[in-house]
Amino acid sequence: MSRGPSLRLLLAPRLLAARHALQRSYLKAVLLVAVTAAFWAGCFTFFTNVLEFFQTVTALGPLLTQRLLVMILVSFFAILTISNVVTALTTFYLASDVRFLLAAPVSRRRLHQARFTETLVASSWMVLLFGLPVFLAYGVVYQAGPLFYAAALATMLLLLVLCAALGVIITTGLVLVFPARRTRDALVVITVALVAGGYMTLRLLQPERLADPSEMAGFMAFLTSFEAPSSPFLPTTWAAEILIPLLGERGGDPLFHLGMLLTTTAVAYLASAGLVTTVYLKAWSRAQEGEVRRGGRRRLAAWLRPLAAPLPRTSGLLLVKDLTVFFRDASQWSQLLLLLALVVVYIYNFSALPIDDGTPLATTLREVVAFANLALAAFVIAAVAVRFVYPVVSLEGRAWWILRAAPLSLRSLWWSKFWIAFLPLAILGEILIVVTGQFLGVAPEQTAVFMATLALLIAAIVSLGLAFGAAYPRLDTQNAAQIATGFGGVIYMVTCLALIAVVVALEAWPISRLFWHQFAPFPVSGGEQAAIGIAFSGVAVVTLVTWAVARRTAIRHFARLG
Amino acid sequence: MIEFVGLRKDFGPSTVVEELDLVIPAGEIFGFLGPNGAGKTTTIKMMMGVLEPTAGTVILDGHDIATAPEEAKAQTGYVPDQPALYDKLTGMEFLRFVGGLYGLERGEIDERAHDLLEEFDMLTREEELIETYSHGMKQRLTLAAALMHRPRILVLDEPMVGLDPQGGLELRQILLALAASGVTVFLSTHSLSVAEELCDRIGILDAGRLIALGSLDELQSRAALRPETAPLDASLESVFLRLTAMEDHA
Repeated sequence: MSRGPSLRLLLAPRLLAARHALQRSYLKAVLLVAVTAAFWAGCFTFFTNVLEFFQTVTALGPLLTQRLLVMILVSFFAILTISNVVTALTTFYLASDVRFLLAAPVSRRRLHQARFTETLVASSWMVLLFGLPVFLAYGVVYQAGPLFYAAALATMLLLLVLCAALGVIITTGLVLVFPARRTRDALVVITVALVAGGYMTLRLLQPERLADPSEMAGFMAFLTSFEAPSSPFLPTTWAAEILIPLLGERGGDPLFHLGMLLTTTAVAYLASAGLVTTVYLKAWSRAQEGEVRRGGRRRLAAWLRPLAAPLPRTSGLLLVKDLTVFFRDASQWSQLLLLLALVVVYIYNFSALPIDDGTPLATTLREVVAFANLALAAFVIAAVAVRFVYPVVSLEGRAWWILRAAPLSLRSLWWSKFWIAFLPLAILGEILIVVTGQFLGVAPEQTAVFMATLALLIAAIVSLGLAFGAAYPRLDTQNAAQIATGFGGVIYMVTCLALIAVVVALEAWPISRLFWHQFAPFPVSGGEQAAIGIAFSGVAVVTLVTWAVARRTAIRHFARLG
Repeated sequence: MIEFVGLRKDFGPSTVVEELDLVIPAGEIFGFLGPNGAGKTTTIKMMMGVLEPTAGTVILDGHDIATAPEEAKAQTGYVPDQPALYDKLTGMEFLRFVGGLYGLERGEIDERAHDLLEEFDMLTREEELIETYSHGMKQRLTLAAALMHRPRILVLDEPMVGLDPQGGLELRQILLALAASGVTVFLSTHSLSVAEELCDRIGILDAGRLIALGSLDELQSRAALRPETAPLDASLESVFLRLTAMEDHA
């Protein structure tokens, strides 16, 4: 009698899809390998330097090393567990092919194995990528023997499996209590809020103080007294107790702790398998329950309608539709929290700059920073546009036919999408320029020039976003973050950066002349005036030509989508 | 009225639709049949201005889809084979959106949407997100959306897929009523019984070519001329099999 499909067979669709994706674009694969290698090298160099620096602190060195390792392990463990909970929700309960597998003669145990493996790989590769160079740096700096590397690899793999098992157990428990879509929404929002909060906290702690030697000593004292959870019952403690003795820092019992980690991981895996085998059908059935709520939806539409009232009919309709969809999708609106954190930190950075002592050096510095601010604000807008503008076309998804079959010209459609993206980005960009200009004491005329330049740049960036979004559409996914990280998103970002660089290069000299003219008694010569005029015209021409070419490209690609 | 004028579509070296010339008068229910991959959906997409033809055009109620697409689309309702909708909108919100796209007055939109939801037995779920609807419900909502602006032409690509028997019966009654009121119905279907029951004329597309055109009687007469290809009885199914088999042999 057949024992049912093998694990390899169940994983084949994912493996084959990955292989086909690589075969389709060899260039992408090479680019991916190059970026990964650079990331690895960067991580390794950074940690090697940090650890070598710690070694120079003779008295505290070993303690700092240990604390840092515990901190890293605790962070990995927390990130991995959250990541596994989110991933398991999709792979076990929301993926479209689960229905197909449930109908097939596949045992629950085998189903668990396949989905567990998928969850493990999908949520762990990033941490593994980051973690291995860290452990490698530890080994190199402390000249550890081969046993350390083997133990580090084993510890890492055991931690990954343990977190995946915990993730599956927590997810299954949550799905049994709450509908899966609500659970996913809540998890997404909590995760994004944690990241945004962590980012803001980290910045507001003023890490630049650490450049001051006296502050550095304070930081070390903090690290030394860092109360990382170090209970003897925590897997991260066992992991640290495996690795630290093998670094030769102090004695210990690594084998015992490896045994603890191994047996706990095995028990957790078996517990997740047992739980899924027992309650999977019940949990999956619960996950299929849709969200039914009355009354609340009308309120959102009623709130949005006056907002769209001043717009032309079609633009208003698309605005209400796009915003309704946006605010009902937690994975989309929660990104606003990150954006808010970004804006707060950006403005805070400028408020904290020490450039107000009135010396000539400070004046020069202020000019440089004010001009760099234009480039930085444009960069922030480009980064936000990659996440919010580039996916706009793809997010219409397979429902694109509704717009194409409607009596709506592609030009009107483009203008609607353009205004919906341009207005909020322009408001955001101009606020950044004006508020930070205030902190820097930039003259109003200069701020006006920056505002005009940024408005032109934002128009071009939005137009490019629609063009690249239409040229590289991903109509099969509703995950905007996934859309933005695709090949087209990367090319779009690079194009935006090139555009910003050209504009900054064109404007640097005239801005500098106008700035110093404030302090010089002599007038700007006729020749210089002409050159300044040409440079500013150059900025207008470059941005407007980019805008127009991108617009034409976008409309041409719109026509091909259907 | 619908008029296909030399409509052709090439995908690279292969021709998917070959020089289609066809006139469908107002008030007719026209059945568009053909085996899988014959080019039916491609033809419909070109007809709706969703796909650009390689050559030729389609004239919908006097408006050329190539030169006056907005006017042509304003007269037409479209139900695609895969009714992908906006999952995060409710049924009512979706109909309001579509009503707005087709230029209905604000006051008229709610009334029309309400009537259509009632007609398609979806009023109780109008405030639920589309993502919670079954395939059949999405199909009915797409039909309701296609009828929001009272089109002069209705184009349906496999509309019976996903409908329960009651839904199928209601759709047939609606199509007959629309045709009686002068609406031209262009119906692509695999359901030969539906085509047999509803259609005034039938066109059979095979490998991109219109191989047969006429009423059921006319098609039966034509199929009877080639008795060696397949057994023939009075049904459209038998006519369809014989005519497409004739093409394969040719």
